[in-house]
Amino acid sequence: MANPLLDDRLVQLLLEDVLDAEALTALPHFEDHGKETFGLYLDACRRLGREVLFPTLRPMDLEPPVFEKGRVRLHPSFREAFGHVRELGAISATRPAEVGGQQLPLTVATLAHAYLMAGNLGVVGLAWLTTGAAHLVEAFGSDDVKARFLGKMYEGQWTGTMALTEPQAGSSLADITSSATPREDGTYRIRGAKIFISGADHDVAENVVNLVLARIDGAPAGTKGISLFAVPRLREEDGALVSNDVQVTGVIHKIGWKALPSLALGFGDRNDCHGWLVGAPHQGLRMMFQMMNEARIGVGVNAAATASAGYHEARLYALERTQGRALEARGAGEPVPLVAHPDVRRMLLRQKAIVDGSLALAATTAHHADLAEHGPEDARAHHQLLLDLLTPVTKTFPAEFGFEANALAVQVLGGYGYTSEYLPELFLRDQKLNTIHEGTTGIQSLDLLGRKAMARGGAALQALGAEIQQAIAAADAAGLDDALRAPLSKAMVRLGKTSMALGQKGLAGDTLGMLGHSVDYLTMTSLVVVAWQHLRLATAAAMRPSRGDFEEGLLRSARYWMATELPRVEHLAQLCETNEPSYLEMEPDWF
Amino acid sequence: MKILVPVKRVADPDNANKVKVSDDGSRVTSDGLEWKMNPFDEWSLEAALRLTEDAGAKKRVGEVVLVSIGPKDEVQTIRQGLAMGDERGILVEAEDDDLDSHVVAQVLEAIAKKEEPDVVFLGKQSADGDSNVAGTKLADFLDWPLVNYAMHIATDDEGKTFTVKRELDVGQQTLKVTAPCVFTASDRILQPQAIKNGVTADDFAYPESDGGRYASLKGIMQAKKKPVEETTLEGLGVTPTRVNAYGSFTLPAARTGSTVFLETVEELVEKLQTEAKVL
Repeated sequence: MANPLLDDRLVQLLLEDVLDAEALTALPHFEDHGKETFGLYLDACRRLGREVLFPTLRPMDLEPPVFEKGRVRLHPSFREAFGHVRELGAISATRPAEVGGQQLPLTVATLAHAYLMAGNLGVVGLAWLTTGAAHLVEAFGSDDVKARFLGKMYEGQWTGTMALTEPQAGSSLADITSSATPREDGTYRIRGAKIFISGADHDVAENVVNLVLARIDGAPAGTKGISLFAVPRLREEDGALVSNDVQVTGVIHKIGWKALPSLALGFGDRNDCHGWLVGAPHQGLRMMFQMMNEARIGVGVNAAATASAGYHEARLYALERTQGRALEARGAGEPVPLVAHPDVRRMLLRQKAIVDGSLALAATTAHHADLAEHGPEDARAHHQLLLDLLTPVTKTFPAEFGFEANALAVQVLGGYGYTSEYLPELFLRDQKLNTIHEGTTGIQSLDLLGRKAMARGGAALQALGAEIQQAIAAADAAGLDDALRAPLSKAMVRLGKTSMALGQKGLAGDTLGMLGHSVDYLTMTSLVVVAWQHLRLATAAAMRPSRGDFEEGLLRSARYWMATELPRVEHLAQLCETNEPSYLEMEPDWF
Repeated sequence: MKILVPVKRVADPDNANKVKVSDDGSRVTSDGLEWKMNPFDEWSLEAALRLTEDAGAKKRVGEVVLVSIGPKDEVQTIRQGLAMGDERGILVEAEDDDLDSHVVAQVLEAIAKKEEPDVVFLGKQSADGDSNVAGTKLADFLDWPLVNYAMHIATDDEGKTFTVKRELDVGQQTLKVTAPCVFTASDRILQPQAIKNGVTADDFAYPESDGGRYASLKGIMQAKKKPVEETTLEGLGVTPTRVNAYGSFTLPAARTGSTVFLETVEELVEKLQTEAKVL
């Protein structure tokens, strides 16, 4: 049986039973939509993911992009696959009608696009980068800049990149040195080097627009002197496209996401690289951060999708492949399918719990994003708080736990899993990037504990606590067992207590005491937030008029999460609160 | 050119194992089934779209009208087609259990007489009943020329006549037909250059595909606003006269057996003769 990439039943349950996506169409911004448009778009993405993108995944992994005579050439089937994604309208699906979009709720787009990402994240990655870059132009660009770039980007005629990272600075954007010199015509001349720029050159669309962070001559040092520029690979001159002095200086040899090239770029070697300022001078980072939520949710969806594709690969294999005898048969009888072995079921259930929890979390966060931007005025601040709090968790949990899920998929296939004849190893390699790009796990943990959890006196955590209480009440009303509800209630209280203790250290000026275990704090928050998702899934399953295989499975994965993961919260809380000193005390020479 | 394309929903063939028979064996139950457009209808729908567009300029130059017969939620099947580019739809409300190929052909006859299309383009059969009858009956009722299993169509005389190749077990047959006429499609109609409509450049090649084109989100939004006329058998003046009566249904026996690896071809031939008895 073919890999479905995602479980359609889960997607339906999330959109209909858990989040009631149709209710969004009562909001003016989404009024042109309805259950029917959601359903047709999901179907289109499903088909495209399964029929067009997935079959190209392995071929593109085997034949990565080629760098020749200064240009990058992608896999021969990339152009057609990307053409389908472009014609689908995925690039501008969620954007407003006035810029050519279709105002699809992010809630629906998140799950629909998960099928595409699970199918081939390299191809979809190019579209997704274009959306991100175009969104920056849309939000902050002047009319001239928008007229120059926006339409072509949203149509996918030109693609986009985020050109932030520099070789010497890595994640530390305060240290970037690319420069921008103003010219009389209002443009700038850009000079500098960037690295790890995905999709910055290819042969599947006419042009590429790089969104580049650089310092205008004389700008203040550090993060307050960084501006944002649109720097196309080719610029328009007298109606023709001419070189804009952006050179590919190297192709990065990656371990995954091989379809999409990651490049080193040189800007302005001939001092002829024109850049167009986007937004006000020196506001580059601030603008970039405003767009960060969407990109980070995108990483989470991608991670969830990759974990899901791996899980289904392992599930189908375990259902079909016979090996060994049942434990209880003591070596007698016919060989049984792998799934008959308790440990294989453990590995499958763990993957399922991670995948279902991740997809539910991504869709929930997207739902808050929809309501924060387009919901009733008086509720927007509330949803924004939750969106901000959930974003680092949505970025990180699916990536970190998804990597574990993908490793379990390899394990289920045993010796075959460790070969390139089967797909799990590919998913494992692809997944790893998600803990790194768009802010590493370490950076996400600092964002969560240092900013989001502490903002407005812990208001976001209080809002989360209220949501969880509501979910517990709904679970109670649906007749769910106390064993599913009580541990979550307790864990949320513990999270609140730990947050308060760490916040007080921060207030007292003990920054290291507060943040020394920030990743443990992020993990602890993730376990609670995902338990909340499982409780909602289980509640929705219990409310269904009849209970089939799918519903039984959801109830078991909820119980699994409460029984095996939530107990870890107490332990992580203690590590955070005591600022357990092992690694903090390590001197560099002791390693 | 105006083309009428009948479409039907069927239980998703990828999930055929979910099809159940009622306890008394009198009917196939549709509870909890996922529906999909009959794949054979998708071929004819795609062919109809290709016949009525300028593919290079991505412009519609004709009209495709979708017809579906069945319960109210069949409208989703129509919307799916509208999202692919068709102009409008007609939903004839009816209970699935009241229909057979004969009644379907009766309904389509009434609609064809009203709509006066140049072509009625059907799937060669539906993936559930597999009868392969409705198209032939319809042509008979209308007394229009019929080309079954069309694999290549070229329009001549501005769409008044067609040169059609049909796929047969023994080879290919080329026919010249005059509109109005009835076509059913073979899967080869989806080959990149199987349709020549005189508008799209002769050397234009569609991408390789084994189904209809993908809907775009823009197409989906437009589909919502396209007209779907709802009518009934009565409204069309059709008195349904079913000719098929269903006795009882049973599910096929579950597959048994296992894979055996043999060393030689001789062994295989012997087993096929003595055990499987297929040689």
